[in-house]
Amino acid sequence: MSELLNTLMQDARVWQGHRQTRTTQPAEPTGYQVLDNQLGGLGWPRGALSECLLDAPGIGELHLLLPLMQRVCAEGKTVFWLNPPHTPYAPALAREGVNLNQVVLINTEDEGDFLWTLENCLRSPVTGLVMAWPGKLAAREIRRLQLAAEAGSNVCVLFRERRYAEQNSPAALRLALAPGEHQDLKVNVLKRRGSWPGQCCSLAMNQRADLAFRESPRVVQGPWADQSR
Amino acid sequence: MLWLYLHFPHLLLDHIRRSRENHGALVVVEGSGQKVIQACPEARAQGVQAGMRLKTAISLIPELGMVRADHQQEARILEDQARWLYRYAAHIVLVPPDGLLAEVGSLQRLYGGLSAVWQTVEQGLNERQLNAWVAVGHTPLAARLIARTGKGECTADKGHILRTLGQMSLLAAEFDDKTRIRLQRIGLNTFGEVLALPSNELARRLSPETLAHVQKIQGNRADPQTPWQPPHYFRQQADFVQEIEHSQGLLFPLQRILSELEEDLCWRQQDTDSLSLVLRHRHQEPTRLRIRTSGPEHRADAFLDLIRLRLEQHPLKAPVTSLVLLVKRFLGREAATGQDLLGETQDLNEAWQTLISRLQARLGENALRQLSPQADHRPERSWLASDVLARHKPWVQDHSRLPRRPLWLLKGPQALTETPPVWLSGPERISGGWWDGQRVHRDYYIAQLASGQLAWVFRDIGGGWFVHGWFG
Repeated sequence: MSELLNTLMQDARVWQGHRQTRTTQPAEPTGYQVLDNQLGGLGWPRGALSECLLDAPGIGELHLLLPLMQRVCAEGKTVFWLNPPHTPYAPALAREGVNLNQVVLINTEDEGDFLWTLENCLRSPVTGLVMAWPGKLAAREIRRLQLAAEAGSNVCVLFRERRYAEQNSPAALRLALAPGEHQDLKVNVLKRRGSWPGQCCSLAMNQRADLAFRESPRVVQGPWADQSR
Repeated sequence: MLWLYLHFPHLLLDHIRRSRENHGALVVVEGSGQKVIQACPEARAQGVQAGMRLKTAISLIPELGMVRADHQQEARILEDQARWLYRYAAHIVLVPPDGLLAEVGSLQRLYGGLSAVWQTVEQGLNERQLNAWVAVGHTPLAARLIARTGKGECTADKGHILRTLGQMSLLAAEFDDKTRIRLQRIGLNTFGEVLALPSNELARRLSPETLAHVQKIQGNRADPQTPWQPPHYFRQQADFVQEIEHSQGLLFPLQRILSELEEDLCWRQQDTDSLSLVLRHRHQEPTRLRIRTSGPEHRADAFLDLIRLRLEQHPLKAPVTSLVLLVKRFLGREAATGQDLLGETQDLNEAWQTLISRLQARLGENALRQLSPQADHRPERSWLASDVLARHKPWVQDHSRLPRRPLWLLKGPQALTETPPVWLSGPERISGGWWDGQRVHRDYYIAQLASGQLAWVFRDIGGGWFVHGWFG
């Protein structure tokens, strides 16, 4: 029996967890040290798809990408927003130091156009970051996007609903995002290419509403407050 | 002065033949559709001749392609050729319906001799797949007469030219019928014999007009020519013998036209950013397509790529009988401004233009937007979406003094359906718009909803509560 096992192991036909080699893939730091540590010190993979799974906007999902956005714009590359669910608010982006000349908003009508556009953006050398809100996607289509992403060396982040966490996906990195107690963002690594998933961390996100140093809420109570709330 | 004359014996035929993919037999028939006027070599090889009745021709070649002669079309094609010739010569005269005259005496030094001018023109004609009889003469009329007989030679020698003219028949010398008959009755048969007559006798016995004609040929009388000026646009047309049903079939003629456009733009040292393509149908209104690039462009490949995308998006609504490509907008070509030694910046600029143009061609121009902040207190009006413009505009404004705002703005305020459990900041009163009727009078708060979303909510003057943005 042990001889049989030995043969299998020598032929490398059985994968062994402890022999796992660290793969190095090109990546962009997320700008959050805590999250980078959880992602093996790397960050957003380049030339591959990343997925952020979240239920509702407004939990700090854009701030998660803001450091990368700022860096990409500073490098003179373009940030594409593909089918965003709401309007990116220009004054807020400008305030954060994002060069709006490098930001292009694209709205597509049907799914064919969406995939075609995303592929074209991913293959272009001018692209630094693509953020896309695809809605429904079949696994086959994500595979197609993954191939397109491999053709370029950009970061591509798909924002999808949390319920797709069960669906398998060829994306290189999958993060589940959930709001925390104190306006922070809980990041749960569902999948990470070349390493183990399952890491969790919480990122402080209260700077997004200038609430960092204010312990107590500073709501001025008006005479109307009690009636209407 | 020396004049070069190009006589196109079958211009319409050449024009149609070169935008055809297959080389079947082709003839041009006269307006009434009875007689063959011009026949292509393939048709001639099978026995069709000019002057033959159309029925006879069809019985010889059942699959014969036919085109009806159209004077307007011929004039247009001739003008196309003039525009091409303008690259080589400045002083050009149109001689409808089938000739071009160019003054070449002044070009000899530029090209290094008359034979070099001749060769350049012949080469150009070959590239354009056009048949033309070329001749040089010391007067416009002499050049024309020699060219039309097909005996043109590359010489500037006046004596030689006059000898060639002398051997010409009276018919070829283009005397009108009455004069020709009178001359024949006198016993003259060649133009040389007419030239030998003393001029005052010629005027007295025949008519002063005949003398003028002879003197114009000889060069003893002024024959002023009005020069042609090239138009400030590019227009090319391809006419099809058989209607084209699939957009794929349009790409072949388009390729030729676009490479001519590229060449034309190169000569002008200009670029363009919009083409207009008109597809004519037999029974319907023509389809007009406007192809725009996001930046100045001159490469035929890039245009063809965009047109292909557009045609894929918009299938033909009817078979196409002819297509016209028109370019009216020209932009000065920009020198490479890249400071980069390796020229990487330029590459990125080009890649940007290619990408944006491709996206706009498929998705439509309004699908791509760029954002910019506006100086207004009202959240709805403090941003602006505009068309995508050229890359690398300077971004100098300092926006760090702007107030803290959410990254997501809803397309319109949505009613707040629950009481937020956590109130974080507020109120911030925004009141404005009394000057343009779009009154806004609101108190904004930052609150966290039960779902954990950080919302930008407001209470308006009517007491309603709304969500206006998310702190994404």
